[in-house]
Amino acid sequence: MEIRVRQKKGMVILEVEGELDFSNVEQLQQEIQRRTEEVVEIDLKGLRFIDSSGVGMLLSQVRHMYKQGRTLRIVRIPELIREDLEVIGFFRVLEVLENPNA
Amino acid sequence: MITGNGKILRAYGLEVSGCSLPAEQVGGDFFEFISCDERTLFAVIGDVMGKGFHAARLMETIRHMLRECIRINPHPLEVVRRLNKVGGDELRKCRAFATLCLLCYDKVTGRLSCVNAGHHPPLLLVNGKVKVARCRGVALGLLEDYLGSGVEEFFLADGDAVVLYTDGLVEAYGPDEQRYGQERLKEIVRLQNGADADRMRQSILSDLETFTRGFSQKDDVTLVVMKVAGKGGERGGD
Repeated sequence: MEIRVRQKKGMVILEVEGELDFSNVEQLQQEIQRRTEEVVEIDLKGLRFIDSSGVGMLLSQVRHMYKQGRTLRIVRIPELIREDLEVIGFFRVLEVLENPNA
Repeated sequence: MITGNGKILRAYGLEVSGCSLPAEQVGGDFFEFISCDERTLFAVIGDVMGKGFHAARLMETIRHMLRECIRINPHPLEVVRRLNKVGGDELRKCRAFATLCLLCYDKVTGRLSCVNAGHHPPLLLVNGKVKVARCRGVALGLLEDYLGSGVEEFFLADGDAVVLYTDGLVEAYGPDEQRYGQERLKEIVRLQNGADADRMRQSILSDLETFTRGFSQKDDVTLVVMKVAGKGGERGGD
C-alpha cells in the first residue's frame, strides 16, 4: 500500500493505493491519527483490495473523528469495493453517524 | 448441536454439507447448525473481522452468545438484535465487527426465515432456478441497534437447496485478477440442480479451484449447502 498526502485549504487528502489489509492497516491508521486538520479525506481511487480489518479501521476512525467534531470523508471508492462495503452496511453506518437521528 | 469443519448432516428433512477452508492464517469464519426444537433448525454462517488468534477467539465468543440468544428467544430477528446488543459491545471493545447470516428452517411447513447482518445473502435453488435472498443489514458491532430489513421468508420443497458462503468465495481472485463473483457462483449452483448437498458443495469448490488456478488467496472460504431431502433426510445423521 502507498499513501500520498496532498494538502488543500483547511483539509488534507490521503490518496491510498494498492491493498489495505490486516498486514498494513496500522500504517494508514497512524497517518490518519497524525493529521490535525478539521477534514481528512481518504481517496480510495487507487485501492485494489480491502479486507475487514481495513473496513473496521476506517469506520472506527470516522467514529473517532466525529466525536471530536471533525470529519473523515471517504471518497472515490472503486465500484467492486463499493459493492463489498454495501454488503456489510458500511454506508448505512456512515449515514447514521452523520445524522444521529436517522 | 453440530459444529466444526467438513460436516455432513442429515436431519430435519435436510441434507447439509459444509466446510471452512482457511487462507494463510487462522481467520474468523464459522458455520454452525443449532437444534431449537423437534421441528426447527438454525443454520448460521459468519465472519469475524481480522485474522489470527484474536479473530478466532472473538469468533468463539460470538458463537457462544449466539447459542444463548437462540435459547432466550428463538425468533430469528430477536436473535440477531440481541446478539448485536451483547456481542456488539464485545466487538466494539476490540474495534471489530462480524457479519452473520441466520437461517431458521421449520421442517413441518418448509418455511425458511432469513435474517442478515452484513453478510453476503444466501442463494436459493428453487425449481431449478437460482435466486438471491434480498435481506440486508448492518454487520454486528457497527451500530448499537441492529439495522436490517427484517426477516425474509421462503417456502422450500423437496429438491430445493440453499447455499451460504463467506466473502472469501466470491472475492477469490484468479491469476488474471478477475474475481470469482456471485454470477459465476449462481451459474454453478444452477448446474447442480438434482445433485445432493455434498456433491453440490464439492462441485462449487472444484469450480473455484479451476477459476483460481492455484493463485494464493487472502481470505478463508466457507461454504454450506442445505438441501431439502424430504423423508430421505429425516433425523439420524451425525
